[in-house]
Amino acid sequence: MPRAKLLRSTPIRFALTYGLLFVFTSLAVWLVSFELLRRELREELDVAVRETYSVIEATYASDDIEDLVGTMDSFVRLNADGSRVFALLDRSGKILSGNLKHAPPREGFETVSALQLGLAGDEQFRILSGDVGGNRLVVGESFKEMEDLAQIVLVSFGWSSALAALLAFATGAYLARSAQDRLDVVAASMAAVSRGQLDVRIPLKGSGDDVDEIAGHINQALERLSTLVESMRQVSTDIAHDLKTPLNRLKLLVDEAATRSLNDEAMRSLLEEALAECDQINTTFDALLRIAQIEAGARKRHFLPVALDQLVYGIAETYADVADDNGQSLRTERIDAVEIQGDKDLLTQMLVNLIENAITHCPPGTAISVGLERSGECWSLFVADDGPGIPENERENIFRRLYRLDKSRTTPGNGLGLSLVRAIADLHGATVNVNDNLPGTRITLSFAP
Amino acid sequence: MRILVIEDDRKTSDYIAKGLNEAGHQCEVVADGRDGLFQATQGSYDILVVDRMLPHLDGLSIVKAARAARVRTPVLLLTAIGGVGDRVEGLEAGADDYLIKPFAFSELLARINALARRPPVQEQRTVLRVADLEMDLVRRLVTRAGQNIDLQPREFTLLEALMRAEGRVLTRTMLLESVWDYHFDPKTSVVETHISRLRAKIDRPFDVPLLHTVRSTGYSLHAPR
Repeated sequence: MPRAKLLRSTPIRFALTYGLLFVFTSLAVWLVSFELLRRELREELDVAVRETYSVIEATYASDDIEDLVGTMDSFVRLNADGSRVFALLDRSGKILSGNLKHAPPREGFETVSALQLGLAGDEQFRILSGDVGGNRLVVGESFKEMEDLAQIVLVSFGWSSALAALLAFATGAYLARSAQDRLDVVAASMAAVSRGQLDVRIPLKGSGDDVDEIAGHINQALERLSTLVESMRQVSTDIAHDLKTPLNRLKLLVDEAATRSLNDEAMRSLLEEALAECDQINTTFDALLRIAQIEAGARKRHFLPVALDQLVYGIAETYADVADDNGQSLRTERIDAVEIQGDKDLLTQMLVNLIENAITHCPPGTAISVGLERSGECWSLFVADDGPGIPENERENIFRRLYRLDKSRTTPGNGLGLSLVRAIADLHGATVNVNDNLPGTRITLSFAP
Repeated sequence: MRILVIEDDRKTSDYIAKGLNEAGHQCEVVADGRDGLFQATQGSYDILVVDRMLPHLDGLSIVKAARAARVRTPVLLLTAIGGVGDRVEGLEAGADDYLIKPFAFSELLARINALARRPPVQEQRTVLRVADLEMDLVRRLVTRAGQNIDLQPREFTLLEALMRAEGRVLTRTMLLESVWDYHFDPKTSVVETHISRLRAKIDRPFDVPLLHTVRSTGYSLHAPR
């Protein structure tokens, strides 16, 4: 991966950010603890110096400095590495005993360099001096041991931090890399889709993690998209085919009217036929537009409470007479009170389409029934008949736009009625099912929240 | 009647103007939305026929602006889009009726006639009367020549619509809209079925028919002329 792209990658930026954050945090922690440690060690040094001072001072008896000198000498002897310094000065400032060449001028605790004490090297000493029976006692200890200890702490801490940071960066880079790889796969898939390969799907890892989840959603969207595109392709072919027939008939009619010399009556009848063809084409287009409009879902803003039971009663009342004139019967079965949020005009058209379908596709003598049942928040609406029925393998096809069963080719209709029913049902969140009514057809709309 | 037609498609406006002139109306055509609004507010017309899609100012805006300017002339909106939402929008904007293209001229004429004779204020009539046919709206009773006629609720509403429009033609679509509240074209003969049943009850037992079929247009209820 080129460096510019590497830096734009979100997982790698995350890893870098967190790695740096880790380094800065441990640096701060380390600084604070190092400072605390130094302070602690210094205090301990003061305590040690004071203790040594007290031990030496205790050997002084009034006006007798022999013991004092002796003690000091043995301290000096035991102090082979020179980390401790001692001195005993008399009133005039002359050094009576000890390993120092100069003594610091003031009393109390002080930090001085080796040079000031007349010693070689560049060490620092912590010294305490005080008055013991008129003489001055000086006791000191080098910082070297403390510095050495601090040095060890510093180095070990530094190494462990560096190791941890390295590990953090490496893990981050590895995780980032694997996340980036998966994102790259998604990006490559989407690029393929944008080139028109709608059958591409993002491979899932199967771990159910967030990338898998998003990839799953994308796959679902792609699935729906390709179904839509396919059905659109299908529909445009169907439309072209379906409109070509009436347009051809229209052309023949107009052609006949234009070329043959006809009397008024014959002419009028030709024109009326042409008009009927035009109306048919218009109706088909209107229905197609309506379905498209409904599928776009824009009509949801017109949703109002609709009493479905009243709607069913009203339509059943109207169509009972129409069925009766057709030698059929239409009756209502159980009708429960159901109120839904919906578009009353569309729901009316939906139910009318279902009932008219039963009326136009069934022979005289058919009994048609309508029912509306509710249980809790769910409701189902059905229109059933005991007519010839629909073959099982055709039951899904009847909802396709412009689709008509072979035996219905001769009955009026454009093959859009049930597509419209499904579109309206979809808009209201209901599903449409076709079942065998033994004998006949039962179309059920069910809604479950 | 003086009718203003605001429509930008020449063929459609010619077709409308020619038909209206033949029906004995005076018709003016404007092709632009802004000019149309100016004419509608300045001239005195009995009916405005307004297309929804117009250059410079669309039909809905013309209706809204005209109503805001207190122009009370009845408006018939024409549209190529037949959605229910659009119809509601049109009526809310202040239009009185709505017709979807393509339409038969007889449909347009019937609607224009219906608009022109729409009573200016809704009168509170409780009894409708056409010849010897009487409808009591309060007690929901129908009698002809003193004989009680038993009607189904839908037949009653259908007869009421026809009686209120006495002498005028109501098209199949107008009846579907006003009596059934159906804003689509049913496949079966809903209107014909109910008209024939109504006719069997109010006309057949009597000598003089009142309910007339107007060929390829619609129905009209009136006393013999």
